[in-house]
Amino acid sequence: MAARSKRYALVIDSKKCINCKACVVACRAEYNVPLANTRPWINEETRGVWPKLMAVFQPEQCHHCSHPACVRVCPTGASYQRPDGIVVVNESDCVGCRYCMIACPYDARFFREDKGVVEKCDFCVKRLAQGQLPACVETCPSRVRVFGDLNDPKSRLAELVSGREYRLKKPEAGTGPQIYFLT
Amino acid sequence: MKTIEWGFLIVNYLFLGGLSAGLFFVSALATFLYKIEEPSPYTRIARLGALLAPWPVMIGCGLLIFDLGRWYHFYKLFLHVRLVSPMSIGTWLLVFFNLVSLVNCYAWLTEDQRNKLFASLPRPLAFLRKFNYDIDHWRRHLAFVGLPISVGVGIYTGVLLGAVQSRPFWNTNLVAQLFLFSALSTGCATLILGLARQEHSAQELRLLYGLDICCMVLEFFIVLPYIIHGQLSVQAVQDSLKLIVGGPFTILFWVFFLGFGLLMPLVIELRELVPVIVSNREFHYSRTIAAGTALLILGGGFLLRYIFVFAGQMSAMQ
Repeated sequence: MAARSKRYALVIDSKKCINCKACVVACRAEYNVPLANTRPWINEETRGVWPKLMAVFQPEQCHHCSHPACVRVCPTGASYQRPDGIVVVNESDCVGCRYCMIACPYDARFFREDKGVVEKCDFCVKRLAQGQLPACVETCPSRVRVFGDLNDPKSRLAELVSGREYRLKKPEAGTGPQIYFLT
Repeated sequence: MKTIEWGFLIVNYLFLGGLSAGLFFVSALATFLYKIEEPSPYTRIARLGALLAPWPVMIGCGLLIFDLGRWYHFYKLFLHVRLVSPMSIGTWLLVFFNLVSLVNCYAWLTEDQRNKLFASLPRPLAFLRKFNYDIDHWRRHLAFVGLPISVGVGIYTGVLLGAVQSRPFWNTNLVAQLFLFSALSTGCATLILGLARQEHSAQELRLLYGLDICCMVLEFFIVLPYIIHGQLSVQAVQDSLKLIVGGPFTILFWVFFLGFGLLMPLVIELRELVPVIVSNREFHYSRTIAAGTALLILGGGFLLRYIFVFAGQMSAMQ
């Protein structure tokens, strides 16, 4: 019997987010990202009319799309998708044309001035290879993020996606985003 | 995090690439129009176009390389052929276009010019003197091969932007057509500018005015549906059009690009050419008007790229 292929994805339960930015700090520490840039970030929004106001925090990052626009436009193949669905950038092949940044509907990529290349979230592929979770997922104190294999029906992620209501961001872009925001 | 990644270097590159494509296209058309055995006014158009065509695109390619985050890795663009990436296709189109336009430029040199060129080679390059061949007879073949490549370069500059689904301001096939006809028009304008300086250019300017009018009319009838179709499209496209309808690029687009850069030169050229065609009058051209019109067209072509590059990056799906 052929081995079942993996499809990594992320579930985000925004209601649990308290905007502590531990995910941003953990990622920055893991990858030594300059202060001017960040791989994950938190969108802050105020809803309602005073005095009935509500602060909404929504974590954001690369959506590791199933049909990534960044991979399609890359002229050198530096941006590519692994068989497990993770979209990564091969730094040595990146020439720094920034076409992928312009093509990304989520503006999830940034240009590293010091290296002259484009970077983004890669679901911590090095940590995954060692059996660890991505740094942002491991560090989140309120368990906003659930990472896992979408093709494994026993995984917590698959349970959440099949049992809870969720929404995808900008599905009209046609890129097949793989971050599931619980509603 | 939304940022403006492509700036003035890319604007200039898109303009210069289109300009070269236009110059080659007009030169190639003129090459087909003249008969080799007879001296023809079209020869001057073909020669000037061929001599000018390689240089803007080469400067543009330099700017493009300089814009890369790691410009010294630019060779990696030539290690891959990715047919799904407009930039990869464009890279190879530019390679072929540069080669063909350079050889074509050489083919249009007179014997004197060729001899001077080879005589001026520095000592380390003296071995190249044995390549001082007369390739006049290649001109039509080069025009035939280069014509589709020049159209490709003209279209590609628009496809590069139009292929980006996430930028609603760009994501329509009309951008590629708009850039193509603008490129051909700027090519005509440069030749008008070059020939207006010389005397006895009536017949050449007549042809160039006619061709330029066709390009500008087509350009206008692409801008029009671009706006109308955009306003009738999905919300994201309607929102993106606000950048040029009430937004930061409104005056630049309507007054300077559409008004001074497209409609004004179109009206001037029609005013010059229509009486000649309708009443069969002799074509009397004003050198000042010809040069002024050409400069307006070139300014309009540059502004078009400027507006599209910046406004496109500011547009996004909500």
